[in-house]
Amino acid sequence: MNEQFRIAHKLGLMFLQDTPLPENVKAWAISQLHVKSPALGIKRWKSNAKGKEWPKSVQPDLLTRDNMFSLYKYNRKREEMGLDGFTSEAAKQDNRRKNLLGKLDQLKFAHRNVYGEDQLKLRFTAFWANHFTTGNIHDNQNHIGHAIDEAILANLNGNFSHMLYKMTTHSSMLTYLDNCWSCGENSQNAIWAKKDGFLAGLNDNLGRELLELHTVSPTAKYTESDIKNAANVLAGWGIWPGRISGEEHELLSTEQRHTKLRKMGGTINSWDFFKKDHAEPGTKRVLGKVIPAGKGGLKQLTDFLASHEHTINYISFKLAQHFVSDNPSKSDVNYIANAWKKSNGNLDQIHTAVIERAISSTEPKFQWPMTWLFQVVRLSGATYFMGWDEMDDDDYNQGIMHAREIFEELGQSLWHERQPDGYSSDKKEWLSGEMFERRIRFADAIYSGGYPANTPDEIMDRIGANETTRSLVNSFNGRKDQFIALMCSPELMGLENA
Amino acid sequence: MPKLNLTRREFLKVSGASLFLAGLPLPGFTKDKPPGTISVIMLEGGMDGLTAVPPFGDPNLSKMRRGLTPDNYLKLNSFFGLHPSFQTFSGLMAKNNASIVHATNFPYTARSHFEGQNLMQGGGLSPFSETSGWLGRSLELAKLPGRSLSLDMPLVLRGTDRNDNFYPASIRGSGNLKTQLIDMISMFHSNEGSSVFKKVSKKSTQKDSIVPRDPASLAKYAGKAMSQEGGPLSSVIKVTQFDTHSNQGADEFGRHGKLLKLVDEIIAGYREGLGDAWDNSIILTLTEFGRTVRINGTWGTEHGYGSAGLLAGGAITKSRVISKWPGLAENEQFEKRDLMSTIDYRSVCAACIENALGLDHDLIADKVFFTPDLPRVYDYIFS
Repeated sequence: MNEQFRIAHKLGLMFLQDTPLPENVKAWAISQLHVKSPALGIKRWKSNAKGKEWPKSVQPDLLTRDNMFSLYKYNRKREEMGLDGFTSEAAKQDNRRKNLLGKLDQLKFAHRNVYGEDQLKLRFTAFWANHFTTGNIHDNQNHIGHAIDEAILANLNGNFSHMLYKMTTHSSMLTYLDNCWSCGENSQNAIWAKKDGFLAGLNDNLGRELLELHTVSPTAKYTESDIKNAANVLAGWGIWPGRISGEEHELLSTEQRHTKLRKMGGTINSWDFFKKDHAEPGTKRVLGKVIPAGKGGLKQLTDFLASHEHTINYISFKLAQHFVSDNPSKSDVNYIANAWKKSNGNLDQIHTAVIERAISSTEPKFQWPMTWLFQVVRLSGATYFMGWDEMDDDDYNQGIMHAREIFEELGQSLWHERQPDGYSSDKKEWLSGEMFERRIRFADAIYSGGYPANTPDEIMDRIGANETTRSLVNSFNGRKDQFIALMCSPELMGLENA
Repeated sequence: MPKLNLTRREFLKVSGASLFLAGLPLPGFTKDKPPGTISVIMLEGGMDGLTAVPPFGDPNLSKMRRGLTPDNYLKLNSFFGLHPSFQTFSGLMAKNNASIVHATNFPYTARSHFEGQNLMQGGGLSPFSETSGWLGRSLELAKLPGRSLSLDMPLVLRGTDRNDNFYPASIRGSGNLKTQLIDMISMFHSNEGSSVFKKVSKKSTQKDSIVPRDPASLAKYAGKAMSQEGGPLSSVIKVTQFDTHSNQGADEFGRHGKLLKLVDEIIAGYREGLGDAWDNSIILTLTEFGRTVRINGTWGTEHGYGSAGLLAGGAITKSRVISKWPGLAENEQFEKRDLMSTIDYRSVCAACIENALGLDHDLIADKVFFTPDLPRVYDYIFS
């Protein structure tokens, strides 16, 4: 591939057909870090449709998301109680359709990646969203898309410590890793519970993964006591946005619920929700750092962890393996780690270092299934995803899969119920016949259903395909076979021989 | 285009199970048929052995685990009970076709899912030290060329180059796979890419019937495949979500109980699918760690150490609970919080490999688990 597409393949999502190619690739790539692009997409499927801005009406804010989810849970409760009008299949479907956002958010994510003009930012967003994995557990699907857009993408130009704090305190994370139900063993809440014969206490799930996966990693040799203390710092944070525990709260109206929330956390903002009576009193010690009691303790902890040497080395390796090479060299990793240290965790500087290493390294980089799919769609000018207005047109869309289904069949989705270590960037984890078969099948489906605007020859000319790719493609006569072969070539998959 | 089968998808979402098959002899393969088949059910997240197989004879159980132990457990003997979710498994125990190993685990105590899962599959001496798995290495040692089935290739089966996988696809708008096209793509790839596409090509010539993705159907399909002449010798099924930090529940309707029921259904699926091949089969569960003895503050449990392993199959002819019980008193617990592990679960895996693939224990200990002095527990399980 020519230098522009080689870099767009490693670090971006490929240039759309009308985009002029930059002369200075490195300058372009770095400038990409500051591109501001709204969520682009299409309203209805039309071959060769161009991306337009997603209307606000299909991008609910956090409070609306909380309220929708809450309404969903309350309707489910009414359904369980067997109340009239809530138990029919139609009512249940209506409840899901009106109040759950996983399906819509996944379409928006797909659109954004296919039509977006901020391709590098979207790749870094996917990396961090995977680093801070939250899957659809405890029904938190209304909040995953919000976390990706507002905790990750919106904070890409800030400091890592800020992103870490915003992700740690987001409903999506606090629900996914159980923290919203945890309370300190000596908290007021635990004392009340004990008196009344109830159980209430600590849950160390998020405290453990904050250390193991999000920051220092096991190389820091933390102890069970460090984990417990991290969990104690986190105790009190979060609220399951749909529901306040306790039978008596099951059927509160939105207004009553908000009154209750204000009493519990002083706010109805679920992204800054700290329940004082669930917090563990006293100072805590995590990896030697003393953290004071109270709401402010968490920020001190995440700031401390964000600049820890083990965090820097661990995440620098992950970045290098994701963007530079399947087997990054020590100097690749050190280069990124040095930029991190020098800038005190400034993400622009860290990402710039990643870009520089990815450009200077000639190694191919195997691409995730979803990245590859977006790249195929963008390169070919196909229209493969349905419009935001067509989500409920089940008959009309017989031939088009929902974004949710596409990600599921690909074997990779940021919404999928999965383990908190996320998807590996190591190509070894993706080498399987089934995974490769999916690439052939999706290339076929994109060609057959997406009406690509460009022929395989046009695509090869634009990207400057290498001789291997050209001979592979030219060994077929049919355009569809040529298309599949091109998209599954070593060059476009990012495998050896590229 | 047919409409999507929502029920099946919903089920997949709930169950999160996937199937892997391995060890299919290639045509022209001349080695004597190995003695049996080996199947692994991976329980991801950390299965609570004290809930699955409650040691009701231990006086500390009721003291420390109120809210986690089902009242209606089935009595196995005067000390151990069995969770009521295990309807099929208990029937197999009654027929002397199933056993339990209790207070056991891989020798790993750091309580990380990802290190633990890497060890239970890789079978290495430290986390992330191996790029192949203990079952893959065993198949390679037994010189059994193989094929396997599912979406990704789990670490436990890696280490034998001829493995492949299968998982039912449902992609609208994609036609039949064309062998010639895939062969050509494979030719232009080098090394690993080429070999993986070759597997896709080989598969394109086989007609697999439509297989539902729920775990019991996958197990039945796997059992059937293994029962056939020239069929696979090994399969792996994964069940996720055992990591119940909150609302774990006690009985068959709780979060953990529902998952145990899935495991029971998988075993039932194998039983049905294997047919006569059941007699020479062994199925074993794997989990990265057990869970804390005490309940946590949110009606769940945290990551622990010792757990229980379930074994089923016709290769077992006498049902037992195999255990060197460490006790549940606080001073008997590992680090005053977890059930101690007194049996190295690698020994249990080694015994199952020995039984199914006919490999010598010393060879398995040395070349599969890199531990020449790994204790042999074969006679406790199979005699």
